[in-house]
Amino acid sequence: MRSVSFVRRPWRLLAEASALLIAAAVVFPLYWMVLSAFRPAGEIESSTPRPWTSSPSLDSFRRVFEQNEFGRYFLNSLVVACTVVIASALIAFLAATAVTRFRFRFRTTLLIMFLVAQTVPVEALTIPLFFLMRDFGQLNTLGSLILPHIAFSLPFAIWMLRGFVKAVPEALEEAAYMDGASRSRFLWQILFPLVFPGLVATSVFSFISAWNDFLFAKSFIISDTSQSTLPMALLVFYKPDEPDWGGVMAASTVMTIPVLIFFVLVQRRLVSGLGGAVKD
Amino acid sequence: MKLPARPAVLLAVMAATACAPQTSANSSSDKDDKTGTLRVWLFQEVGNKPKEKVVDSVVAAFEKAHEGTEVDVEYIPVETRAQRVKAAFNDPASAPDVMEYGNTDTAGHVKDGGLLDVTEEFGDWPEAKDTDPTARQSVTVAGKVYGAPFYVGVRALYYRTDVFEEIGLEVPRTMDELASTARRIRAARPELYGLVVGGAYTYGAMPFVWANGGEIATGKDGSYTSAIDSAAAQKGIKAYTSLFTDDNCPAAKCAGMGGNDTVTAFAAGKAGMAIGGDFSHAAVEAGKVKGKYAVVPLPGVRAGSVAPAFAGGNNIGVLKSTSHRTLAVALMRQLASKKTQASMFGAMGFLPTFSDVRQQVAAKEPYVKPFARTLAAGTRFVPASPAWAQIDSSLVLPTMFQEVISGKKSVAAASKDAAKKMDDAFGTAG
Amino acid sequence: MTAHGRMTAHGRMTAPRPWRRRSTPWLYLAPALVVLGGLLVHPIYQLGLISLFQYTQAQVSGGEPTTFQGLGNYTELFADDQFWQVLLATVVFAAACVVSTLAVGCALAVLLTRVRAVPRLALMLAALGAWATPAVTGSTVWLFLFDPDFGPVNRVLGIGDHSWTYGRFSAFFLVLLEVVWCSFPFVMVTVYAGIRAVPAEVLEAAALDGASQWRIWRSVLAPMLRPILVVVTIQSVIWDFKVFTQIYVMTNGGGIAGQNLVLNVYAYQKAFASSQYGLGSAIGVVMLLILLAVTLVYLRLLRRQGAQL
Repeated sequence: MRSVSFVRRPWRLLAEASALLIAAAVVFPLYWMVLSAFRPAGEIESSTPRPWTSSPSLDSFRRVFEQNEFGRYFLNSLVVACTVVIASALIAFLAATAVTRFRFRFRTTLLIMFLVAQTVPVEALTIPLFFLMRDFGQLNTLGSLILPHIAFSLPFAIWMLRGFVKAVPEALEEAAYMDGASRSRFLWQILFPLVFPGLVATSVFSFISAWNDFLFAKSFIISDTSQSTLPMALLVFYKPDEPDWGGVMAASTVMTIPVLIFFVLVQRRLVSGLGGAVKD
Repeated sequence: MKLPARPAVLLAVMAATACAPQTSANSSSDKDDKTGTLRVWLFQEVGNKPKEKVVDSVVAAFEKAHEGTEVDVEYIPVETRAQRVKAAFNDPASAPDVMEYGNTDTAGHVKDGGLLDVTEEFGDWPEAKDTDPTARQSVTVAGKVYGAPFYVGVRALYYRTDVFEEIGLEVPRTMDELASTARRIRAARPELYGLVVGGAYTYGAMPFVWANGGEIATGKDGSYTSAIDSAAAQKGIKAYTSLFTDDNCPAAKCAGMGGNDTVTAFAAGKAGMAIGGDFSHAAVEAGKVKGKYAVVPLPGVRAGSVAPAFAGGNNIGVLKSTSHRTLAVALMRQLASKKTQASMFGAMGFLPTFSDVRQQVAAKEPYVKPFARTLAAGTRFVPASPAWAQIDSSLVLPTMFQEVISGKKSVAAASKDAAKKMDDAFGTAG
Repeated sequence: MTAHGRMTAHGRMTAPRPWRRRSTPWLYLAPALVVLGGLLVHPIYQLGLISLFQYTQAQVSGGEPTTFQGLGNYTELFADDQFWQVLLATVVFAAACVVSTLAVGCALAVLLTRVRAVPRLALMLAALGAWATPAVTGSTVWLFLFDPDFGPVNRVLGIGDHSWTYGRFSAFFLVLLEVVWCSFPFVMVTVYAGIRAVPAEVLEAAALDGASQWRIWRSVLAPMLRPILVVVTIQSVIWDFKVFTQIYVMTNGGGIAGQNLVLNVYAYQKAFASSQYGLGSAIGVVMLLILLAVTLVYLRLLRRQGAQL
């Protein structure tokens, strides 16, 4: 609140009013999505859309969940996203520790490579990755989605985590060794908890990229629909007949909610995390 | 901070392990299991439910007749079929055993090495002798047969009888009349499109080119030269694209439409006329316009003539990579049999590929008449070149139409660019 | 990793502790390097390789042998007018996205510091919601908002059934809105966190000196925030240059006659729609090189600040 103290009152009220207005505008698309999902059949196609609905209905959601194995797709998405988050967090933690707490040859080169790796356009790599997955017999498995996403979220995760690892004072490490702690004990029982907020902030990005993935699922899950993920299920409602907007919006709502929950849970750590990551 | 140029080391390592990009060993499988699961891919049509019903009964009978087999049917969206099929060819392990494919894709699929040569099995099949020659041609490449014809598709003009009566319109007899009728509908009923057209609706647009004497390409047996920029073809392109105006079908809405979109619009009662196929019959019947429409052949340039239609249709083929060769061929025959085609006609309006079955159903169902007449008046086909699959999937013709419609290029310039792209494709893939 | 092996052998004989210190980083790095090597470096290498070959569907499925083309795909690409158009559109579009995202993000970050807890929380949560929305659903929802027949935007603006996706610029504008909507929160949150880290006395001193808000931002905050601004700018450039889903979903794969294509979608269409994998890979390589150049600029900026990697 400290920065508030020297702002004059009328200006502050104006600022707060506009903040609320902007918040409403930003949230409006989401509101409209949820609203459309709850509208009863027919109201969506009305040519005079009203910003509320008189008789909310669960029909669209029912259609979504009656869709073949929708629950299964949901679970698949969850498995992919969680595996990616955990695996990339652990791997990135180790790598970030290596590049910040040690001096060794190729360190700078590696750091630059991690930076450069972030710029790689994932879509362009779909072609070679397809052949790679085929040669390892991974097509049509969740592994074909998990592995590339771990790889693509690593460079950014390492780059971000560096700041957090660096922020832990060297003295703490020395003290730990003085007390006779082994390296792995220091790593997992001292460093890891301290860096945890950073890991959470970082995992937001890997979670999003894995959860949203559309291209890999489309390209690698060819014939085994039981391995499909949510974005593919969403497509089912874009039938050639008539796009089922109610269904699309309901499925979108279902798809967005887990990410929202995740975000709200990590909100505080995300803000402090991003601040820490870029401070160095 | 120093920034050493170490990536060079990495490059050297990579160069040392260099190898050519992979190809898949897409040889035919030697296995011929007599039990197990057969995977089938069929197209998802507008209003797919009746199709599923017919297929389900065929599958049930097949599973009963072949103990220990299971059939797993999946309906794939037509728009993205090319990617799915390619992926299947690239990875035999995830490929289906039996699949439906468009007859324009036959040459391309064969060249890609994906389809099984079933010349012998097709010859042994008693029902095959009644297959009409055009349909037979559509599964044949260089004298070999790569599947069984599933249905023929031709397009004709759907129009709203109630709207015509209300405004007092005659059924158009020439293409010029078609355009003027369309405008009169829109003028009298502004909430309707006159004739709903789509910038991405290649097979709705081509009759205009063909009726004006144009061709997509000329040539034979693999060596083709594009002719889409000829004077006659340009006239046809102009005729079609001039329908995308605010007094018929506003470009802002229609330029992006494909064939399914136009049929959907007509079925929903949003258009006075549409160019739709026999296969659209079920979808239109299920829409709001049921009982308020009729179908005539699309008129040609001269009064009384019929604009040449595209001889579309789909086939059922067996994939080379199948490990259930005997079963897969048997299933292909069942799916494309006279009996299945007759019930598929009842369910979806798909015109049978067997001459005798077609005659039978035409006698029973009067709506088949305009389509049969269109077929009889002579149909056209896309160049029978493997390059066509590439031209089709890289959207050469839709892009050309859309460029003209949106005013980005003149007819001459757009058709010239399209011709060049097509010649490139014929050159590399043909 | 030969250097590492050598060091190990050497270190073991003399002193145990340096040995541990030298090999440990590589031990820690091993999982990351294995994953990145196999799933990033190797595919990039393959990408470069494919771009040098005549590589279409027939070659992929083994119907025809692959033929080495040298730079054939590149000459074909550079001779194509459409490529240059798409490249220009990509650069301009990405630049517009970056500028709008940064402007909106920074302005709102400053706004956040000026308001009390409730409005701040509201804006923060709204932004997180936008951020959390998957690109596929975000694109769909925005498309629906601007739908000519059923969308509320046209009703409110009273422009009938105007189609936003028909015109080239209006379609790009619509995509830009969505991109800004879902990417400004990152900028806002990061910059806000940065401002919070600025010592309060500095700001108060400036305010007491009677400096205007704009002046405080320009002469006090911006310089202190520069490292953060560089990071968010570069991230935005990288993300916006690679926009794929939004264009693909909202303009239906590139718009009327391909007018809304950007490089990423163009490469995808070339490779997967027309099976010209070689050509598609060449476009991918071009993109990679452009982004590499951006990254080098970034590194130079970092170095000028004297940052220690």
